Amino acid sequence: MMAKRKMSLNELSEKVGLTLSNLSILKTGKAKAIRFSTLEAICNALDCQPGDILEYVNDKKA
Amino acid sequence: MSKTNNLVFWSLYILAWLIFVGLSIEAGGLIVNFFFSVYKPEFVQNLYQKLDLTEMYKNSRLSFFGIYSFILSISILKACLFYIVIRLMHKMNLSKPFNTFVARQISQISYYTLLIGLLSYIARQLAKNLMHHGFATHNLNQFWADSQAFILMGAVLYIIATIFKKGVDIQNENDLTV
Repeated sequence: MMAKRKMSLNELSEKVGLTLSNLSILKTGKAKAIRFSTLEAICNALDCQPGDILEYVNDKKA
Repeated sequence: MSKTNNLVFWSLYILAWLIFVGLSIEAGGLIVNFFFSVYKPEFVQNLYQKLDLTEMYKNSRLSFFGIYSFILSISILKACLFYIVIRLMHKMNLSKPFNTFVARQISQISYYTLLIGLLSYIARQLAKNLMHHGFATHNLNQFWADSQAFILMGAVLYIIATIFKKGVDIQNENDLTV
């Protein structure tokens, strides 16, 4: 989605108000949880739906 | 952290160091005492706490080595316990205390405390048994007088360690929540 919107991590972090390290945690899939406020800010910044940036993967199949 | 808390923390740190040094000296003295009891019994009267078990050594070597192994184990474990306490207080960051290292140290402290309590209790029962068989063990009560206190403290510390581990898990989850 970031590539579609031609947005770098730095730009996104400025728009969303998250640090680069937190965004990196999200991007690499290490995050354990995400606040709705953060999800809203990211969807707002990338002009997309939560389904465009979230994917469900069964832990047993992964 | 407030100034009072900081002062109390550093006072306890210094106190822990003093106790550790005292316990190390005691453990060292008992080790030296042990070797003199076996090889040069005539010097025992001038040694650490004048602990003289030469009569027990002459009458029953098994009882002597059994009792002395308990005395040495308990004193060495106490010194190790305070070493872990010092290490914890030295490395702990009070602004971010919930980490794996601190949780592990508190667990270790609880295990050592429980072990000291159990060994002290068993040694006390053994000494009572030996007294019935005619051995003079009343001078050894100082080494295991506080066995029940250690068991109680160990149990409480174990509960605190379990709660702390849960706290660490919650902290880690919080750190990975964006």
